[in-house]
Amino acid sequence: MLFPLGYAVWLSLFNYDLGSGSRAFIALGNYTDLLSDNRFWASLNRTVGIVLAAVGLEFCLGLAIAYGLYRLTFGVRILNLLMFLPNIVTPVVAALFLRWIFMGRWGLIAGTLIGLGIFPPDFLGDPAWARVTVVLADSWQFTPFMILVLYAGLNTVDQSQIEAAQIDGAGALTLLFRIMLPAIRPLIVFVLAIRLMDAFRFFDTIYVLTSGGPGTATETITLYTYALAFRLLQVGKASALGVLTLIFVAILVAVMIRVVYRREKGAF
Amino acid sequence: MINRRRLLQAAIAAPAIIGAPARSAGTIQMISHRYPALEYYAEKMRTAIPGVAVNTQLMPIDKAIELATIALSAKSDTPDIVYASDTTFQTFVKNGWFRPLDDLWARYADEFALADFPQAALDTYRYDGHLYVMPHTLNTMMFFYRKDLLDQAGKSPPVTIAGYRDLAKSLNSPLRSGSINCLKPVDAAVNETHWYLNALGDGWFDADWHPAFNTPKSVAAIEMLKDVTRSAQQGFTTAANDECAIAYQQDTGVMGLQWATRAKAMDDPAKSRIIGKIDWTAPPQGHARIAGDGYAISAFSKQDPDVLFRIIATSASQASMRGAASLLIPPRKSVLDDPSLRDANRFYPAALASYVAGTPAPKLPEFNAIGEFVTRRILQAVTGESTVKVALDAAAGETETFLKGHGYYKG
Repeated sequence: MLFPLGYAVWLSLFNYDLGSGSRAFIALGNYTDLLSDNRFWASLNRTVGIVLAAVGLEFCLGLAIAYGLYRLTFGVRILNLLMFLPNIVTPVVAALFLRWIFMGRWGLIAGTLIGLGIFPPDFLGDPAWARVTVVLADSWQFTPFMILVLYAGLNTVDQSQIEAAQIDGAGALTLLFRIMLPAIRPLIVFVLAIRLMDAFRFFDTIYVLTSGGPGTATETITLYTYALAFRLLQVGKASALGVLTLIFVAILVAVMIRVVYRREKGAF
Repeated sequence: MINRRRLLQAAIAAPAIIGAPARSAGTIQMISHRYPALEYYAEKMRTAIPGVAVNTQLMPIDKAIELATIALSAKSDTPDIVYASDTTFQTFVKNGWFRPLDDLWARYADEFALADFPQAALDTYRYDGHLYVMPHTLNTMMFFYRKDLLDQAGKSPPVTIAGYRDLAKSLNSPLRSGSINCLKPVDAAVNETHWYLNALGDGWFDADWHPAFNTPKSVAAIEMLKDVTRSAQQGFTTAANDECAIAYQQDTGVMGLQWATRAKAMDDPAKSRIIGKIDWTAPPQGHARIAGDGYAISAFSKQDPDVLFRIIATSASQASMRGAASLLIPPRKSVLDDPSLRDANRFYPAALASYVAGTPAPKLPEFNAIGEFVTRRILQAVTGESTVKVALDAAAGETETFLKGHGYYKG
């Protein structure tokens, strides 16, 4: 693990153009270039927006479904299995499948609605809708992971606490928000941290669905890195962007853990 | 009687008996853009030399270029045969990724009647005096339009881009868009933008390679493109040639710009619902993109270059090109001048008129890379995320920075 990371850091110190083969040491030049690059900041903002929306949606949906499963008295295993299916599909395959669903005019949704005389928005071609579609696509694939982890977490809550709360007259929502969620807070931080790290590397689904477009509407940090490396062949700058992304994600996760740790010593 | 001397003689004679394939080790790998004519050529390559396996990987152009770029920049010994267009070949040759073909061209000139290629077609693929690509198609963007619908409306094909915009607007409906636009970055968007910039604006660059696509005239040209797209089909921002060709074939659009190589497919009963209803003309005000496709040999291939050249040349032979003539504009004089083929392919007159009125892409090896950020900026403008002027100025700034980093503008 350390070698590729070290090599990426090493490359990031060079003005390395893969096309011409030129390779000149420029120390932190790539980093200063990127930090003054509007496209970098725009893609970072976009990434944060897409990641927060996707992970937020996945968490809310995941929690609701996990709690529903928790309260269900039959068929839990088969439902769990069925709901986990999107998560085991290869992301590129899932994205191709979703592309055919969301495609304008010919897609499953557009085709069905047009058949009914309703003209839907251009899900992949309109900038705002493209961002929504990308969030939905990620949520479709990764909400099952949230469900699985949260459902497992809910089942670890001390039954005596739940029974005591029920005797005190707590309803289903009070039970969830006052008793169960606080009890599994470390697990929630864990699953959010995992998903945030993963979502920041969000590439394959967007690449297949929109290629970062229209324009730069869905261009995330990873897609910008890809464009720098394989379209503009600026390997040094792409490596620097990879290192910056790593630092950013590390800080984000560290802050999350720190916040929870300070609130509840001993959680980690 | 079999003895050691006989065996040795047989081993030496074997390549001559069974031909060059004996020198070729393993399957030959080919990467290519995909459209009907190139699918035809891929099939010809697979069967070019008996006993030599050729694995042809065909995909949309952006993917083909990306895959070739990744492989060749890593000096990978696969692919062996690489698709090249008039723009991509410059980038690849400048980077040292293609093998010059001059020696092979001279060696096989008679066998494959290579003098039949027009000099102009060959000059397109020369770099520093060396030839790197064997041309397989001449291509031009034509104006496709639904003759039946224009006739019903009592209209003629537009002769100006403003006329095209107005006509598209008047024929636009929810089920059938007035215009079909292909603005998926990078290649499709570059092609469409090229027409507006050259017909209405100041083109891509000035004589010193400074951006000319953000001059007032060019800004107005892209404003016109934005206007036209108000009547475009759904999904035009993510539509490339495949999606646009389908839009015509499935009767969901009236007119627009498209490559000549897509013309024949309009009358394919297996794919099209509009057989005989499409007609073609030169793009209003001319200056649409003219281009070409061909195949080159990777500089890093470990396969026998003679075998690779023979495969490419067989696929581009007179007989092969005659068979492909309905799918493209053939870059061989003997085929191009054949009156029977002209009569059999009703798009030929419009294709030739478009070719004469067309404009090639700038002769700049970095053009494809520049297209990456210019087309994204233009898409920002077209989709309303930015104004045209702001988007083009930003693209111009990025272009100058990029070219400066590649040694331009010195002194």
